[in-house]
Amino acid sequence: MTDRKKISKKTLNKAFHHWYYGHLTCFSQEHMQTFGYLTSMLPVIEELYDKKEDQKEAMKTYTAFFNTEPQLGSIIVGITAGLEEAKANGDAVDGETINGMRAGLMGPIAGIGDSLIVGTLIPILLGIALGMSTGGSPVGAIFYIIVWNLIAYFGMRYLFFRGYKMGDKAVEFLVGSQGSAIRKAIAVVGAMVVGGVAATWVNISTAFELKNSSGKTFLSLQNQFDSIYPGLLTVLFILFCWWLMSKKKISAINTMLILVVIAFLGVLVGFFNPGLKY
Amino acid sequence: MTISWIQAILLGIFASLSSMPGMGGTSIGNYTLGRPLVGGLVCGIILGDIRLGIACGVAMQLVYIALVTPGGTVSADVRAVSYIGIPLAMVAIHSQGLSVTGADAANLAKSMGTLVGTVGTVLFYGTATMNLVWQHMGWKDVEKGKFHKLYLVDWAYPWISHICFSFIPTLIMTKLGSTAVTALRNALPMDGIPMKTLFTVGAMLPCVGIAILLRQIVNTPVDFIPFLVGFTLAASLKLNLVSVAVVSLIFALLTYQLEIARTSKASAPAESTSDDDDEEDI
Repeated sequence: MTDRKKISKKTLNKAFHHWYYGHLTCFSQEHMQTFGYLTSMLPVIEELYDKKEDQKEAMKTYTAFFNTEPQLGSIIVGITAGLEEAKANGDAVDGETINGMRAGLMGPIAGIGDSLIVGTLIPILLGIALGMSTGGSPVGAIFYIIVWNLIAYFGMRYLFFRGYKMGDKAVEFLVGSQGSAIRKAIAVVGAMVVGGVAATWVNISTAFELKNSSGKTFLSLQNQFDSIYPGLLTVLFILFCWWLMSKKKISAINTMLILVVIAFLGVLVGFFNPGLKY
Repeated sequence: MTISWIQAILLGIFASLSSMPGMGGTSIGNYTLGRPLVGGLVCGIILGDIRLGIACGVAMQLVYIALVTPGGTVSADVRAVSYIGIPLAMVAIHSQGLSVTGADAANLAKSMGTLVGTVGTVLFYGTATMNLVWQHMGWKDVEKGKFHKLYLVDWAYPWISHICFSFIPTLIMTKLGSTAVTALRNALPMDGIPMKTLFTVGAMLPCVGIAILLRQIVNTPVDFIPFLVGFTLAASLKLNLVSVAVVSLIFALLTYQLEIARTSKASAPAESTSDDDDEEDI
C-alpha cells in the first residue's frame, strides 16, 4: 500500500486564489465560469496526478459548463478539490460523480447566494455606508470597501476549505432545514433594512397645492400625505414598481420608462415640480 | 469642470477593472470598484472633487442597490454607471451650478447614471462576446494538454476585450461627453418641461432598485410587513440604518427559532427513524 495522496496546503491556497480572482475574468454567455473553474482546479490536478494522460482525463471533468454565485460558490470548488483527492486515491468517486454533484449544486447555490449575498448582505452594507457618506463624506465608501472585502475574502476562504474538508457532506448542510431557517431569519433583517434604506434615501413628494383667491395656500397635498403616513407616496411608488415587475412581468428597463411617462405627465399637470432655477 | 485625457485614461482603466466580467475579479472589481458609491470616491479623487463624487455616487448607488445579475443577464452595466455616468454627472452638476449635496444634484445624477448604465449594457455583451475568441483558443490548449495556457486565457487575453469595450468607450465618452454636457445647459432651461421631468424621474428611479430587492424577498403579501416596519422605523421614528438593523435582529432571532421549532415538529411524527439527534421533543 502506498500512502494516500494529499493536496498540500500551498496548492489548496493556490487553487483558492485562482478561484477568488479569476472565476469570472474570462466570462462569455456560453461558458460563464468554466475557465475560472479550470484554472482553479489545475494546480490540484497537477499535484494529484503525475502522468499527463491522467491529468488530461481529470481536467476533462471540469470542462463542463459551470455558473453559480461565485462568493458562496467557492464551497463547491472546495468540495470538488476534496472529491478529486478521493478519486486520485482510488476511492469510489469518478469524474461523473463529481460533475453530477457540481451540476446539482450550482443552481441552488446561485439562488441562495444571489438572495443572501447580492440581495441582502451587500445592500445592508451599502445602506449603512450611504448613511455615513451623507453630505459627500468619503467615510462610508471606505467603510464599504474594507468591510465587504474582508467578509468576501475570508468568507470565501472559509467556505472553500470547509468544502474541501467536508466533501459531499457539505451538500446536506447547504440544503437542509437549519440552513433554510438561517436564510429566513436573514431575509427578515434584509427586508427591514431595505425598508429603512427606502425611507431614508428615497423621497417622492408632490408640489400640488390649492390656493385661495388671495394666493394663499389652503391645501398642500404633501402635508396631508405626511399627516396620514410619512413617506406615503414613496411607499406607493415602490409597491407600484414591485407590482409592475413581479405581477405584470415588466422588465426593469421598461418599468423605468413607465416612470419617465408618469413623471412627464405629472410635471405637465403640476403634480410634480422640482422647483429649480439656474 | 473639464475632463483631461489623463483623467479619462484613468477612468478607462477603472472601467476595465470593475465591469461585470471585470479584470479586478468579482469581489474587488464588480462588487467593490463597480459599486457607484465606491465609483463616486474614485471619480472624486481622479477629477479632484471628492465631495461631489461621493454625492453623485450616493445618489446612483440607490438606483443600483440591488444590482443582481442572475445567470449573467444584466439590466445595467456598472462600468458605465460608475465610470462614465458619475464623471459626466459631476461635470453637469458643476456646469449647472447646483448645490453639491442638494437633492437636485442627486436627482440629476440618478437620471444621467441610469441613462448611461442602460446604454452601457451593450458594453457588457460586447465584452462577453469577444471573450468567446479566447475561450475557443482555450479549448484547443486543453485538447493539446497545454494546461498552463489556461492562465493566459483566463487572466490575460480578456484585457483585450476590455480595451475594446471598456477602456476606449469610457475614454471617448468621458472626454467628449463633458463638452456635450456643458452645451446641454444652454439648450435646456431648468424650469422647462424636459429638465423638470428629468429631475422628477431621478427622484423616482430608486423605487425600481428597491422593488427589485423586494421581488427577491416577497413571495406573499405578508412578506411586505418587515419591509414596511423597517420603513416606518426610519420614516416616522427617524431611526438611522444601523439602529434599524439592530432592531431587526430580534425579529430575525424569533424567526430562526420559530423555523427550527416548526421543522423539528413537522419531521418528528413522519420520520421516527430520522437521524436528527438534536430533536428534543421526541
